[in-house]
Amino acid sequence: MRQGSCLILLACLCLYPLRGQNKALLYDFTEIPQSLLINPGAQTSLNWYAGVPLLSGFSFQAGSSGITVDDIFAADGLDINDKVRQRAVYGMTRRDELSGAVQLEILSGGFRSGRRPSDFYSFGTYLEGDAIGYWPQDLAILAWEGNANQYGRKFDLGHLKTRGELTQVFHFGINRQVSSGFTIGARAKIYSGILHFNSSRNQGYFLTQEGQNNLVANTLSAQMALRTSGLDALYDIVRDETLDRTSATVQYLRKRALFGGDLGLGIDLGFSRQIGEQWWLTASLLDLGFMMHTSPRNFYLEGTATVEGVEVILPDALADPNRDFWQDLVDEVEALVPFTEDNRNYVSFRPTKFYSSLRYDFGEPVSGGSGAACDCDITPGGRQDVLSYRNALGAQLYAINRPRGPQGALSVFYLRRVGRWLAVKAAYTADKFTMTNLGLGVQFRAGPVQLYLMGDNLLGYRNVADSHYASFQFGLNILSSEAN
Amino acid sequence: MKRNVLILLTALLLTGFPSCVERQDFDQYDALAVTPTVEASLLYIEAPERVINQISGTDFVQQIFNFDAFAEDFVSENLLDGVVRYQVENTTSKPLELTFELLDEGGNTLDTEAFSIDAAPTPLLVREIAYGPGGRSIDIIRNTSSIRVTARNLGDNTSTSSLPDPMVVLRSSAQFRIRLK
Repeated sequence: MRQGSCLILLACLCLYPLRGQNKALLYDFTEIPQSLLINPGAQTSLNWYAGVPLLSGFSFQAGSSGITVDDIFAADGLDINDKVRQRAVYGMTRRDELSGAVQLEILSGGFRSGRRPSDFYSFGTYLEGDAIGYWPQDLAILAWEGNANQYGRKFDLGHLKTRGELTQVFHFGINRQVSSGFTIGARAKIYSGILHFNSSRNQGYFLTQEGQNNLVANTLSAQMALRTSGLDALYDIVRDETLDRTSATVQYLRKRALFGGDLGLGIDLGFSRQIGEQWWLTASLLDLGFMMHTSPRNFYLEGTATVEGVEVILPDALADPNRDFWQDLVDEVEALVPFTEDNRNYVSFRPTKFYSSLRYDFGEPVSGGSGAACDCDITPGGRQDVLSYRNALGAQLYAINRPRGPQGALSVFYLRRVGRWLAVKAAYTADKFTMTNLGLGVQFRAGPVQLYLMGDNLLGYRNVADSHYASFQFGLNILSSEAN
Repeated sequence: MKRNVLILLTALLLTGFPSCVERQDFDQYDALAVTPTVEASLLYIEAPERVINQISGTDFVQQIFNFDAFAEDFVSENLLDGVVRYQVENTTSKPLELTFELLDEGGNTLDTEAFSIDAAPTPLLVREIAYGPGGRSIDIIRNTSSIRVTARNLGDNTSTSSLPDPMVVLRSSAQFRIRLK
């Protein structure tokens, strides 16, 4: 127990400065089948479940760590130019981000093995979109101020970092209860990539300084790349006026979602381990995988050039009276810093996510056959008897691999089960976007029908325009659990 | 039972938290002005004294240089104001006269800047010309398509300066404010 706590604490201390977005409320909310998508090794007492197509799981998250809509557009009488200068151009840093994620389950289901009741299989397919753009601090200052009177300042082109994708995921997972105190799980995934773009390894600078010959020298040194897949053909469709563009777009996206585009493989791993009578340690690693992009169009800007204007040095310059010095200069710069493109296939790695929790269950434990009144009236355990409780309190850790390195979030939560028909989970999360993220999730059951609804950063709803983060999830399932 | 119902109601109330939005004024976007000032060199001309001595006649440079930087649609449409800076350095033994003319696409002179500089030793000649409000018309820059430079030798073709590597150098740069939004 002590070791587990120390491990969690150490991980928290290491990852706390990183922060990020997550599904803190759904994680380890074992009454909801979709929690198996976040931890394939979560405890589950389900016999079977079937998600209502298109309604079994929808989640949406959007975050801006730097500024909010209200910061710029509040009707506060301040000059918008002052607000943009102070709060965006000079108020944000290259680590600030604008990011969003959306997930829509198309099909979802699961069943317990008849031959081996300790195994629970789950499967389905969902559409997932994810994009992130970091604030290009130096480029924003350059665009706002210009390069005049900025001698010696290197505007870092590496501040431009962005990536995004739209992917259809097909998955099949196995959850095995090894013992009453230990459950493991794994999920295999096939990714059918629809759209992808990535520009995250840029380097270089733009520099203005005193010239050697002329008054000013401008230097551009760039190693920049933008890789895209699936966007090129979509762009052609959108621009083609001879097509019914809406149906052509839908047809194109559908084809790519059904293995007609990029393909990839991945795996999720997870476990739940009892580390004390009432203590549980859980963890999962999601989307350990890659995607091969086979319909790419990539763009590059690479090279270094220093320009001091049109240079005319006699007597050489008089040799050709028709020489176009301006065009020569343009050609020279284009040769030194060429803008090129190609169609080379490339591999991208999925944004791997990590979850972990330390949970303390309390209230009176469920004891075999005990009918005594106690604070323990549900049984979310596996095939072997697992003591379960009406209350749970714990801490969760989340991290995701991002272009600027891992981002993390730390949550503390309280879970309350009220009979079999209601479970409520409240969580406080500290992350990159807000330190006042209070979230609440509710699972409501009426017979075999389950509805769940979750919302993060509820305090942000006091003024949505001033919120750095918004997240919600809901779903509808038909299910049967052991106690049904 | 009462307690359970209370928990349910509280949970539903919180998850369906009534959202509010304080009044936003998106019309402010129209007032947003992104107007960076960009700076770059324009033209550098270097003429050694030995070349000046070799050319008979007084005009040792008379040439039109294509200069399409201002003619780009985006630049010409969004130029607000700016300053062109000239610097003339003469280390030759001759007094010189340089004329810098901005020409439009038809070859018509839009603006002229003339420099007279004594024979060496003479200090650097520096001049700044403002365009836009308070200065000359910004349309001059907007319509500039080429630059004609004329350099005239007001001295002889035989003398040689005692300074090392004698030459006349014209340097120029510009700072212009451009409206991006």
